[in-house]
This record gives sequence, structure tokens and C-alpha cells, in this order.
Amino acid sequence: MVRWTFYIALVLWLAILVGLKLLVRPPMPVSVLMIYMTLSTLGILVFVAANEERFQAFVAPLRSVFEARAPKAVQALVLAGIPLLIGWGAWLRTAPSWDAPFEPRVVHPEPPSAFTSHGKRIDAAALKNPLRVGDPAKLAQYTAEGKTIYYQNCFFCHGDALAGDGHFANAFTPIPANFRDVGTISMLQESFVYWRVATGGPGLPKGATPWLSAMPVWQDMLSEEDIWKAILYIYEGSGSTPRTWEEEVKHDKH
Amino acid sequence: MTSIDLRLLALAACLAAPAFAADAPKVKTGPVKPTPVAADLEAGKRLYQRWCAQCHGDEGKGDGPAADFVYPRPRDFTLAIYKVRTTLSGALPTDHDLFNIIAKGLPGTSMPAWEKFIPEKDRWQLVHYVKTFDELGLFKEEPAKEQVVIDAPPKVTSELVAKGKALYEQKKCWQCHGQGGRGDGPSASGMKDEWGFPIRPVNFTKSWRFRAGDGLEDIYRTFTTGFNGTPMPSFVDAIPAAEDRWALAAFVKSLARPQKTGQVLKAGLVSGEIPADAYAKAWEDAEFTDFPLAGQIIREPRWFKPMHDVITARALYNEREIAILLEWDDGTHNKGEGGKPFDQVALQWPAGAPEGAEKPYFIHGDAKHGVELWRWNPAQGLARATANGAGKEKPLEAGGVVAQGSYRDGQYRVILRRPLDKVSPGGTAIAPGQFVPVAFQLWDGDNGEEGMKMSLSTWYYLLPQPATPLTAYLWPFGLGFLALGGEVWLLRRMRRKEAA
Repeated sequence: MVRWTFYIALVLWLAILVGLKLLVRPPMPVSVLMIYMTLSTLGILVFVAANEERFQAFVAPLRSVFEARAPKAVQALVLAGIPLLIGWGAWLRTAPSWDAPFEPRVVHPEPPSAFTSHGKRIDAAALKNPLRVGDPAKLAQYTAEGKTIYYQNCFFCHGDALAGDGHFANAFTPIPANFRDVGTISMLQESFVYWRVATGGPGLPKGATPWLSAMPVWQDMLSEEDIWKAILYIYEGSGSTPRTWEEEVKHDKH
Repeated sequence: MTSIDLRLLALAACLAAPAFAADAPKVKTGPVKPTPVAADLEAGKRLYQRWCAQCHGDEGKGDGPAADFVYPRPRDFTLAIYKVRTTLSGALPTDHDLFNIIAKGLPGTSMPAWEKFIPEKDRWQLVHYVKTFDELGLFKEEPAKEQVVIDAPPKVTSELVAKGKALYEQKKCWQCHGQGGRGDGPSASGMKDEWGFPIRPVNFTKSWRFRAGDGLEDIYRTFTTGFNGTPMPSFVDAIPAAEDRWALAAFVKSLARPQKTGQVLKAGLVSGEIPADAYAKAWEDAEFTDFPLAGQIIREPRWFKPMHDVITARALYNEREIAILLEWDDGTHNKGEGGKPFDQVALQWPAGAPEGAEKPYFIHGDAKHGVELWRWNPAQGLARATANGAGKEKPLEAGGVVAQGSYRDGQYRVILRRPLDKVSPGGTAIAPGQFVPVAFQLWDGDNGEEGMKMSLSTWYYLLPQPATPLTAYLWPFGLGFLALGGEVWLLRRMRRKEAA
């Protein structure tokens, strides 16, 4: 085993790199990848250097290249490869990419304490879905009406299956919200969702780049009731439930 | 033109060449694969109501609440007419055909690939349930027993593609699909499907919209089976030899141009004049970017059924001016005649210098941040305006902006150019290395699009791309040579030691 140290180390290093690049989803930022790879490199080197015999075995292939004992082709490959690799690495950093300017964006901005909808001032903290009623027949009826509203207004972007992949979705950056994703409506209260629907992209605070959002100001097109019905449907249709304060109080007690 | 007329026309197209329909070799068929899951119509109905009724309607008539808001219209299941099948022309689809449509969806329509959301056994229940809408009882009386067997496709060679091209000419595919395959043939306008709804010949360059998929086998299958209920016939009689249909499929596939989307429209630096001819080599060589478009569904009149889904742009600049070439496919050339609006394109810029990253509202700006619009159409040419919201527009003089438009083979190419420094009045300065926000708007007159009835994009950027600075090359070369030097030093040292 020891005599293959160099190759094992090389394969291990490459395996870590490929694993981090391909297997981790969503892809990690390059800076994080660099930290992991630096740590991996150091770890491998420390392991190799901890034992004299292993260290000698590790440097043997390199030594054979520099001492001209390795086959000519291998010598040429290694000696030409190292400067090219370094040059290429430097090019990746210096080549101008001309990517679009980075626009930092708050995905779930702090909701305001009060906002205006349908000409009324609304206190966000006290806002509840008035149509989320106890009577199951009534609730089912409101939700069904919400479904029609959804498919006549929302599904072009947010998708037939509420996955943010409607037939207009690819025209927009950022992409429309995926309601099936646990990171969207299921971690939000209905009052937050109402605020987002009623005031749309232009109602976002500056930190959330309102000018990038194509979300309409739905209070211009839908009544208060219609918005609440649509909200009932997006929860039901995506199989999620809104976050509520009651739930959190319960969790705190446990 | 009625749908009957069109079908005759399509038939005539099939038989235009000396036809030997009678003694044509039969298409190879095999028995239909059995359906793996037995029907549970209760479950099917529940699932259908849950996921399908919004478009296809409670009774399968294709008249759900969303039906009027999508193009093409959702399928009406009552006549049991289906486009994408593995069965012979006019025959019913197999259960597997229906299953595949539900699983894979129909590209270029609002029918999604349900395999991502509905488990396999539930999709089979939907197949069973959808068949119950068949008013004529056809699925009971004459279910598909045979399906087309598709052999392994031949290797695609340039000869095969050339042969396909000859067949495309000879069999008059261009009659509907156009010489360049952009769906702009002489019979393209005004087509209707079996239900009397408007339908257009497919644009072969937009392969991502092929309903039955864009694989070679998919295209071959469509030629062989035809699209029931549409003017697209089976070509089995007109092109009896399978290898000829493969050749035609290879040619059609060769027309596809994959999309290349991006956030930045990069303008390349050229020395000398920017060509006025949109087909000039400098333009062909310029990097292109595709910008996807959506219907304008916010400002009245809201427009849910736009015809255009993408616009392609290229840009070039020199020390004096910048030019943007806009390219889009349109099967019909509308110049504002015959009671239809004209085709139109527009570029939208922020009016005046942008404040940081902040941009005007993407539909015609807002009270605080205005936009500048450059509109071009084949009837009136270029018009320039500023807007502070939909309908709040003021015309501007051209102020140095020049447009040249052309229409050829089902495609518009419009070059818009302006001086680099500034257009007066109201224009933004454009400088090398500076990102300038830009948005795109597009109208198809044949589809009745005008005013706010349009396709549009949100904000992207135009960047006059400066030449790569010398320092960018310095580092890689410097470090590479340094490494080489180190190697040589080590090499000498170690070899000397070895020799000693």
C-alpha cells in the first residue's frame, strides 16, 4: 500500500474535489469550496508527512520525474503540465467574465408593521385570513373559488402544480416562488403572504430589489376576498399549511 | 378557410408527388403493450378534479376556468382525437400514449410534465378516467390494437440531411412550414384545428416547442402517425419508405437552433463600420443571446396568449456608435393591412442615468423612474418615446437613433443604432464597460397584438464589452513562466545530484 501513497493521495484529492462539486446540492460557492479544498490538501499532506516511509513513497514519483528516471513521455507531461495548470488557474481568476452586476437581494424581507391595501391601512400583526373558517364545507367552497382565481391569474408563472414553473416562468429572474418548496409559503404566515400578494414586487422594501420582481400588485386586480381565497388555495394545492403564532407558542411550552 | 379545406390541402400536399398509396408498403406495426394498472375510476375522477379540471373542464370538454387563458387551448377529450400517438393516422391512441403525454407534458403549451408531481400509478388512473369522456364510445368499440414499430434510427450523415432537404422541397412541407422551416409557408396563416380553433404550423427552428418531443425518433413518429385533429397529416402514403421519412426527420432536426439565454447582451467591439446588412458576416459572427418573453398580464388589457416566447439579440459597437440586432421568428408578416395590427418590436431603457441598481418598473416605468422606448414596425419604422407608466407616454424625436428592418424566410431582423455618447433628448449615455439596463417587447399582429397586448421581458443588461486588458494575460503567463523556471532549477539541481 505504502508505495502507492502518491497515487492514493492524488485520487483522494480529486475525489474530494469532484464530490464537493457534483454531489453537494445546491452547489456551494467557490469561496467555500476553496476552504474545503485547502483543508483537504493540508490534511493529506500532514498525513503523508507524518511517517518517513510514507513521505518517501509520496515524493518518489515526483523525484523520478525530476531525476529523469521516469519515462520520457511522463516527464514531458508533468513538466509541461504544472506551469500550464498554474497559468490556467491564474487565467480563470484574471479573465474578465462580464457577468451581470451582482445584486444582493433579501428573499424574505421583514414585513412592514402596517401597509396599505385596497385603500385601507392594514396592521400586519393583527392580520388573519378571515376565510379560514371552522366550517369545513364553507372552507372547501372558498378554497375551490380560490383555485379558479389561481388558474385565471397566477398559474402562468407559479405553475399548474404550484411549483413555480408555469409556462411564463422562465422569462423571469428571480424565478416565481415555488409553493411546494418548504422554504416558501409553509414557513410564512398568511398575513405575510397577503402582504406579498396585495403589494407585489413594487411593494417590496429596497433591500429586496423591487425592480427585479415581476409580481403584480394584485390589490389593483383582485378584491381582498379573492386574494384570501387564492391564498387558501395555494396552501391546499401545494399541500402546505401556513405558519401560525399559536403553533409557536405551543412549541415554546414543550 | 375551414378545417375541412385545410385537411384537403394537407392531403393534396401528401399526394402532390406521384403517389402509390394503394401499393405502398404497410408501416410496420406490432401489438399494443398491455396496460399495467387496472382502472379505479373513483380514484381517477378524484385526481382529475384535483389536477386536470382547471384546464380540461369537469366534463373533459377542454373548457375549464383556465381554458380561455392559455394558447393552445386545452384538449377536449369528448371526441377522442389525440395528436401525439404511436398509432396509425386517424386511430385512437394507446393507453401508453396517453400515459406518456401526461408524464412528459406537451412542450410549447401549458401542459406540464406531470411525472414530477403525480405518482406513476395515479397517472394510469388519469389515463383510464380521461378515456371515459369519449362521447362516441370509440375507446370501447375500436381501441388501438396495433402500434407503429419504430426501428433503430439511421446514423445522421450530411447525405441523409441533404436527402431530407430534397424531400422537404418535393413533398411541399414548405407550403405550411416555410422554406426555412419557420412556420411561414404560404398556407400558414388562418389555419384551424378540428374544433375550429386557430393553429399554426410548427417552427422547426424552435425544437423546444415540439409537442411530441424533438428527438429524431419523435420527429419520425410524427411523420408516420400524423397529428390527428390538426392539418398535419401522416406522410406514410406520400413518403412510403421508412428511410425517406428518417431522412426528412434528420433534415427537420438539423433546422433546430438551441436557445442560449443570459443576463447580459454583450456588444463586441469592431473596427470600422458596423454593417447595415443584418445578414453580413460581422453580424453572423457576433455573439447572440436569447431573451425569453412572457405575456403582459398586469396592465389592462391583460394579454394571456402571446405568440412570441423569445427574442434573440446581438450587439456591436465601434468608437462612434452602438448597434443592436434584434431577431425573431414570425410566420406571418403583418404590415397593418387586412384589418390586423402590424408586427412590432421595442427596446426599453431607463430614461436618464440610473440610480445605483434601481430600475424603473419593468412595464413602461413608473412616476419616479421613467423609461425610454424605441419601437419599430414594418409599417411606420422607428418611433421614440418616454413613458412614466402604461399609457403615460410622450413622443420624442429620433435624436440620432436609426432603424433598419427586414423580413425574410419567416424571420425579422431589425438593426437599431445610436451614437455611443448620448442621444438627445432624454437618452442614456452608453460607454464601454458600463452595464445599461434594457428590456424587450414584441408584438405579433396576426395574433391581434397591439398596445399593451404584447410579449415582454423584465430588465436585462447591455454591455459594450471592452477589449480584454493586457494585465489579464500578464498574470497567467507570468506565473506559468515562473513555475517553469522553478522546474528547470529543480531539474538541474536534482540531476546534478543524481550524476554526482
